[in-house]
Amino acid sequence: MVARRRKCAARDPEDRIPSPLGYAAIPIKFSEKQQASHYLYVRAHGVRQGTKSTWPQKRTLFVLNVPPYCTESVELQEKPDLAESPKESRSKFFHPKPVPGFQVAYVVFQKPSGVSAALALKGPLLVSTESHPVKSGIHKWISDYADSVPDPEALRVEVDTFMEAYDQKIAEEEAKAKEEEGVPDEEGWVKVTRRGRRPVLPRTEAASLRVLERERRKRSRKELLNFYAWQHRESKMEHLAQLRKKFEEDKQRIELLRAQRKFRPY
Amino acid sequence: MGPAPAGEQLRGATGEPEVMEPALEGTGKEGKKASSRKRTLAEPPAKGLLQPVKLSRAELYKEPTNEELNRLRETEILFHSSLLRLQVEELLKEVRLSEKKKDRIDAFLREVNQRVVRVPSVPETELTDQAWLPAGVRVPLHQVPYAVKGCFRFLPPAQVTVVGSYLLGTCIRPDINVDVALTMPREILQDKDGLNQRYFRKRALYLAHLAHHLAQDPLFGSVCFSYTNGCHLKPSLLLRPRGKDERLVTVRLHPCPPPDFFRPCRLLPTKNNVRSAWYRGQSPAGDGSPEPPTPRYNTWVLQDTVLESHLQLLSTILSSAQGLKDGVALLKVWLRQRELDKGQGGFTGFLVSMLVVFLVSTRKIHTTMSGYQVLRSVLQFLATTDLTVNGISLCLSSDPSLPALADFHQAFSVVFLDSSGHLNLCADVTASTYHQVQHEARLSMMLLDSRADDGFHLLLMTPKPMIRAFDHVLHLRPLSRLQAACHRLKLWPELQDNGGDYVSAALGPLTTLLEQGLGARLNLLAHSRPPVPEWDISQDPPKHKDSGTLTLGLLLRPEGLTSVLELGPEADQPEAAKFRQFWGSRSELRRFQDGAIREAVVWEAASMSQKRLIPHQVVTHLLALHADIPETCVHYVGGPLDALIQGLKETSSTGEEALVAAVRCYDDLSRLLWGLEGLPLTVSAVQGAHPVLRYTEVFPPTPVRPAFSFYETLRERSSLLPRLDKPCPAYVEPMTVVCHLEGSGQWPQDAEAVQRVRAAFQLRLAELLTQQHGLQCRATATHTDVLKDGFVFRIRVAYQREPQILKEVQSPEGMISLRDTAASLRLERDTRQLPLLTSALHGLQQQHPAFSGVARLAKRWVRAQLLGEGFADESLDLVAAALFLHPEPFTPPSSPQVGFLRFLFLVSTFDWKNNPLFVNLNNELTVEEQVEIRSGFLAARAQLPVMVIVTPQDRKNSVWTQDGPSAQILQQLVVLAAEALPMLEKQLMDPRGPGDIRMGPSENVALL
Repeated sequence: MVARRRKCAARDPEDRIPSPLGYAAIPIKFSEKQQASHYLYVRAHGVRQGTKSTWPQKRTLFVLNVPPYCTESVELQEKPDLAESPKESRSKFFHPKPVPGFQVAYVVFQKPSGVSAALALKGPLLVSTESHPVKSGIHKWISDYADSVPDPEALRVEVDTFMEAYDQKIAEEEAKAKEEEGVPDEEGWVKVTRRGRRPVLPRTEAASLRVLERERRKRSRKELLNFYAWQHRESKMEHLAQLRKKFEEDKQRIELLRAQRKFRPY
Repeated sequence: MGPAPAGEQLRGATGEPEVMEPALEGTGKEGKKASSRKRTLAEPPAKGLLQPVKLSRAELYKEPTNEELNRLRETEILFHSSLLRLQVEELLKEVRLSEKKKDRIDAFLREVNQRVVRVPSVPETELTDQAWLPAGVRVPLHQVPYAVKGCFRFLPPAQVTVVGSYLLGTCIRPDINVDVALTMPREILQDKDGLNQRYFRKRALYLAHLAHHLAQDPLFGSVCFSYTNGCHLKPSLLLRPRGKDERLVTVRLHPCPPPDFFRPCRLLPTKNNVRSAWYRGQSPAGDGSPEPPTPRYNTWVLQDTVLESHLQLLSTILSSAQGLKDGVALLKVWLRQRELDKGQGGFTGFLVSMLVVFLVSTRKIHTTMSGYQVLRSVLQFLATTDLTVNGISLCLSSDPSLPALADFHQAFSVVFLDSSGHLNLCADVTASTYHQVQHEARLSMMLLDSRADDGFHLLLMTPKPMIRAFDHVLHLRPLSRLQAACHRLKLWPELQDNGGDYVSAALGPLTTLLEQGLGARLNLLAHSRPPVPEWDISQDPPKHKDSGTLTLGLLLRPEGLTSVLELGPEADQPEAAKFRQFWGSRSELRRFQDGAIREAVVWEAASMSQKRLIPHQVVTHLLALHADIPETCVHYVGGPLDALIQGLKETSSTGEEALVAAVRCYDDLSRLLWGLEGLPLTVSAVQGAHPVLRYTEVFPPTPVRPAFSFYETLRERSSLLPRLDKPCPAYVEPMTVVCHLEGSGQWPQDAEAVQRVRAAFQLRLAELLTQQHGLQCRATATHTDVLKDGFVFRIRVAYQREPQILKEVQSPEGMISLRDTAASLRLERDTRQLPLLTSALHGLQQQHPAFSGVARLAKRWVRAQLLGEGFADESLDLVAAALFLHPEPFTPPSSPQVGFLRFLFLVSTFDWKNNPLFVNLNNELTVEEQVEIRSGFLAARAQLPVMVIVTPQDRKNSVWTQDGPSAQILQQLVVLAAEALPMLEKQLMDPRGPGDIRMGPSENVALL
């Protein structure tokens, strides 16, 4: 898709760059050497009345079509999303980077004027310059590989701190639960837990299904099979109905096979 | 490639259908990304798709009518199931002749009759004086030697009778043949016509004259000669109507002698009717010895005398019972699908009809039986009896003048006497052909007994061409070499008996020779039957060598196949000489570990692929030694596809050895893991989860030892970094191994925390392996990579309860329920189902050594078509496994070649829309369960992927095809397979070198 758009751009005169409605196009190039440019589509971030967005109105620039080699300094996302990006900083060991590809960006400026300045950008902007070269080719692969080799010590430290915090949290919860045990709340209800003196069944679906199943089995054991004449008649009828159903199914299958000419042996 | 995130998948999948059918989508629902497959399948309203049956209550529970009850009862008693009954009825409708066509054929027959009796007669001449024959017609017989005393004159036939299956109503489409017997008037024949081919010469001349006159008639579209059942002493004349009916019917004219002309006692199998003095121009070798008997010659004469009586016998038995006729028609279809009825010496429809008569007469079949039951009884009879040892006879009289069965066994390999007690109906059937029939019957009985759902389809609708049925195939060409072979094998009496047909004469001894030589490597040896030629009346009859190629099919026995040693008797035993004589220079004296000194033959074969081709060495050696057939005339097709799964460097092995080496290394590693000390929880199970560990990686990994000069070191992490100025390092594929730990209550019950604890285990594992065994390891949060003997293993610690923790959802009321999530499904797949599958397929490889080759060829092919991305590795492995677990109607493949052909056949013919592919690993699914799964499949069809594979571990979801292929990709594969199969089969069946078999992506559309 990108390639097609680029071709269009090359054919058109410089001043009229085709872009989606409401977006301004900013040409960017990887480096000086390239002839053709890639286009970023930008517009001021705005949402319909009543929708909540965590991005500040007026000060945010919404950028489409961010190429995979632009990685620095702004928060990047795979899809447009109204919520602010991850609240807590995620561990790099446990949440590997999303798959690379074309992305969207939300750029928050300090002043609203920054947005309009960005919209007016003419470009072409350069991604890789003398002062800030972007690695490519085998250099990039080697550095990617070097980055992918994890530091076991750092990992260990992270695990340890997390587990410490976790253990603490669990201990607190347990202590709280112990405290509350057997103490009625303001309406007089007592909460029964698994850890009490007389543990009860866990409140899971599986457990309740098991109970129901046991009940059913108990009931069916008491019933008599084919005891009354009507039962006998009904089971016979049931058998016949099964046969009829099977017959219908078979007929349908045959019909299908006939339509596919599956009965022509050779 | 790891599993791509769900969002990516859906986008990829929805893309195309939305483009294709915008009108259908248009309104509203575009936000709903529920799998697009659903839409592609469900959108066209049930076109070619089975729907679950919905019957109203009233319909289901209405009072049954008498008729309905009768039909249900009949189905229950006479057929297996109502489905089978419907299928059989449908098939019979398809192969039966319609009444309208019958009328047209009858009309044509009347015309033929009128014209035949009006052919003018010619005056008497000497047999050798054939100048009276007009120029446009040649005698349809090789007159060797030419000189025969006697006279011939043409007179119109005394009687014209329709014989054979047409009158019985058991002939089946598409090629309808009507046999017409022309009784030659007695005046034409003389005494002793049975001697020295004189009867056959007259018969041929009779036909030649007839042909000349009929060819001028505008009624006939084509008039040509052919051989009756391939017997080249007995030509017949084929007439086809002109115009649009030309393909409808072929009328075959068979001249026959007047009744009681030949005395049967002159034609016993022990009698000689072709004198050596006449045939070879000399008295028999070793003067004074008696003339060799000519049993086959005698049979051919006898066959002409009994045409009418056989018809009468058949019609008295068959005409009364529709079930018997149906049965015969089904049997004919069965034979034809297996290519058993065609060619010279085939097991013809006439033979099975007679077999049905025999079984009726012995009360094994009753006239009220249904067609299906007749089929079953005949197959049962064929599977359990051996006519090569205990012949059967339709003759009821105990006349002492009749010849004994033993006489027939002496002369023929298969014995089935007709009601006269003089004629062996199976005279032309070779032992190999009969064994093939037996083998097929046995397989079919097994199939019927297994109560498979699509038994009918596999039994009667699936063709079994030789190349797809046999593991290896070899072509003998040119056929003229067999003439020399006959002389080398001293088969002069047989040549005399066969009237010079050296192909038939050599066939029996050659197959016996090869069967003996291949011994334990062989399950079954079959030969193609020379096709029956047709030729124009103005041409000379085709020569024996013109029947093209003799093709032999070998069904191998995997247990004995790979042994390189042929153990003979001890050197001082008298059998040793025989063994030496049989193996010639290849036999050598060897001393064995137990001290015995024995004759033995040792074949050179280093790798598995070479061992599979030992039969090639055996066959070429024996044929050259005993039959004078040089290697250049033997085109052995056993391994032309092996090259496609050979690595670049080695050309002698197809990778089985490398895979075994990797698996052995993995076994060592798992032993180390088991014995690891110092882990907080001990290792309870180590399971492989990588294609290498189930022997299905196309190109197995080679051990890598990095050259240190090519790398920089990352010292603090003890790793190597490739250098810019050096060549690119080799890619090493890590082999995933899942490591389960013993159960413990100490695990946290929170997904995030479980991840951390697992990471701690990964770190500890790396530490301990380095400390205790000096292995280089690298731990990450999710796995530990271990370098062992040049292989890299990726150990993943798994916690059994983790998928469940990921599934837990708490409802507002505090009820915890389990719901599948993408993460839990992925984890379950990677840590539970994948190891199970890997070990199951590992087991399959131990049972069927060819599995690895087949699965790898299949994957290689799919990837060469650039479709590999669409198919999970495991799904293709499972399809390959299905070929071994459900080989019906074949036997499990013993060579990659035949397995690959069947893979193509399965892929191109399987109806993925309406059927799940069952892969019954370890036979865990019972028949009832399969029925249940099938109905569940139909009900949920729209929610399931386009390709559904059911295994005992995965009964509903078809885990391995969830992420692809899409309907379009699958369709593409089906089309490509349907194109590739005939092309490849043609190449393999063409003896002039196996052409060029390529699989490169560049020419992917052009060829494979």
